[in-house]
Amino acid sequence: MTAPVIVCSTGTEAPEEAEATLTLGRKVAAASGTDVRWLLLGAAPDGYADVARRHGVAAVDIAGGDGIDEGDADVLVAAVARYWERSPGQVLVFAQTFSTRDIAPRVAARIGAAVVTNAVDVDAGGDAGLEVSAAAFGGDTRVLYAVTPGVACVVTLQPNAIEPTAADGTAPEPAVEKLDLDLSGVVRGVRVVEAARSDGPRLEDADVIVAGGRGLKSAENYQLVVELAALLGGMAGASRPIVDDGWIDSAHQVGLTGKITRPALYVAAGISGATQHVVGCTAAKTLVAINTDADASIFRHARYGIVGDCLEILPELIRSARDRGVRR
Amino acid sequence: MRTVVCVKEVLDPDAVGAYAVSGHLEIGDDAKTLTQTTIPRLMNAYDEQAIEAALRLRDGGADTTVCAVSVGADTTATLRHAFSLGVDEVVAISPPAGVEVDCHVVAALLAAFVRDRGADLVLTGRQASDDDQGVVPALVGEALAMPVVTIARAVDVDGTKVTVTRVTPDGDEVAETELPAVVTVSSELGEPRYPNVKMKMAARKVTPEVVAPSDLSVPDGGLQPLLRLERQWVPAVAGECEILEADSAAALADLLIDRLVDDKTLQAGGGRP
Ligand SMILES: Cc1cc2nc3c(=O)[nH]c(=O)nc-3n(C[C@H](O)[C@H](O)[C@H](O)COP(=O)(O)OP(=O)(O)OC[C@H]3O[C@@H](n4cnc5c(N)ncnc54)[C@H](O)[C@@H]3O)c2cc1C
Repeated sequence: MTAPVIVCSTGTEAPEEAEATLTLGRKVAAASGTDVRWLLLGAAPDGYADVARRHGVAAVDIAGGDGIDEGDADVLVAAVARYWERSPGQVLVFAQTFSTRDIAPRVAARIGAAVVTNAVDVDAGGDAGLEVSAAAFGGDTRVLYAVTPGVACVVTLQPNAIEPTAADGTAPEPAVEKLDLDLSGVVRGVRVVEAARSDGPRLEDADVIVAGGRGLKSAENYQLVVELAALLGGMAGASRPIVDDGWIDSAHQVGLTGKITRPALYVAAGISGATQHVVGCTAAKTLVAINTDADASIFRHARYGIVGDCLEILPELIRSARDRGVRR
Repeated sequence: MRTVVCVKEVLDPDAVGAYAVSGHLEIGDDAKTLTQTTIPRLMNAYDEQAIEAALRLRDGGADTTVCAVSVGADTTATLRHAFSLGVDEVVAISPPAGVEVDCHVVAALLAAFVRDRGADLVLTGRQASDDDQGVVPALVGEALAMPVVTIARAVDVDGTKVTVTRVTPDGDEVAETELPAVVTVSSELGEPRYPNVKMKMAARKVTPEVVAPSDLSVPDGGLQPLLRLERQWVPAVAGECEILEADSAAALADLLIDRLVDDKTLQAGGGRP
């Protein structure tokens, strides 16, 4: 049998993203006649056994302990590499997060595999062998990479790239094993002297996001975005230029190099819709664009559009939302 | 101390985006190469910020030389730009002949360059704005067994210690490690400097040193790509936007709220108490 597909979860991904990687893993495994093994690093999430069964996972391997639980990158890299030594695969799939983007290429280097980030799909089993499609130019283009035959590939799957679906039929109970990877010799090269303080709710989890861009003209006008967001029970987002200009801190940046969000409602005010921004909000169920330029590319992604000045529209939206007491 | 900054020449992502959005992006007969000669080539902006980080260290009193190195067939313009910003040394590594270079080959060449010529600090941008992969710095770090610290807003060196303020999704994190190390720089570092006229003039006369793969101690197999770019295309966008029309901003706002309530995105409440 071909080596299995290994899906690795680090606990830094949203549950639906873990399921997306399992969905992808299942597809690749089926195409190449092999199984999916699910490697869980750190505390296993609630209900993992059910998730594994739903996705037809053959085996769940759980590894925790010092360093792994803290998410130390050096330890995680060593853990995955050690795991691979005992149980090599043909593909190793991570859900792409801030943390896995760091560890995936390092793991690839250790195990002699290729690496592709921003992946949106993986194909296997055809004549072409292993092929990975990924977003390039911030999503303006897609690229297809062929992996050299005989070489394994580490992939980080872009959020929202794949709709998680359960396997058909009923799968047998997966074998669950708690691993004891000996990581005592691992050198932790990087010390965190001041941890990031994650205060309050995260944009990634927000149900409503009202985001502003350069079209707001000034930092003061960003208050309109903040006010409407609060009124709708949501959070304020931003495009990169206004973060760079210090109107708002980078925790609010949406996009390729900011947050990938999936709200029910995303309002983009004065945002042109550059792909690097849009990758962070296209998973929104309903996207509203407000822009003076009828040709702005944000309208291509929007459900509803208003061609107009956001400095006039936002105050009216605030009034209208308040008058009618609308909420999510 | 010696700082090596790895820089990449890319197609201007804004121009690529503009062509892609307007449906006019040209892709060559090989089905993967972007062929429009009207798209400017420039230094990847994050790499420019990595140079800026190196120069700020030097300006701040760190006793370091700064070398900019790039892998590519013709990176002279990009390396001259690096020189005009104030780096001391510019080096072009030519790609191995007959090989379609991938991120693994680039990393092997850069790592060999650092191994052979030395570096206390290796700086690069967090990712290149063409392929957005962001894996070369990690691959270089692994090849050299150096710690890798990513997405810096600020980089400080004190003796043999480097302190990095990282932009994380949960806010800033301060991390430190011992040199030699690889650090990647993000846009949060702030605007890079502009070259002054004098430096620009001087840069025009500079010829980067060209280093061939055979000049470098690349480990066996290091020049074998693991990935091959097969195809590139512009993904379709499913646009179905309803442009709302009304006589006034107030009416437009009411109409939008109506729509959002009708399609159950929002719920109407009791109105203003
Ligand atoms: C590698 C890379 C990574 C990047 N990562 C990100 C990222 O993570 N997030 C991100 O956002 N960007 C990112 N960018 C930048 C991105 O390409 C765009 O430059 C940026 O998103 C543009 O921001 P903007 O829409 O606010 O500004 P602009 O592009 O300047 O657009 C302003 C818009 O406002 C409109 N406007 C002007 N006045 C008004 C008005 N009164 N009312 C209504 N509309 C008005 C204009 O018509 C225009 O469409 C990245 C770029 C690169 C190269």
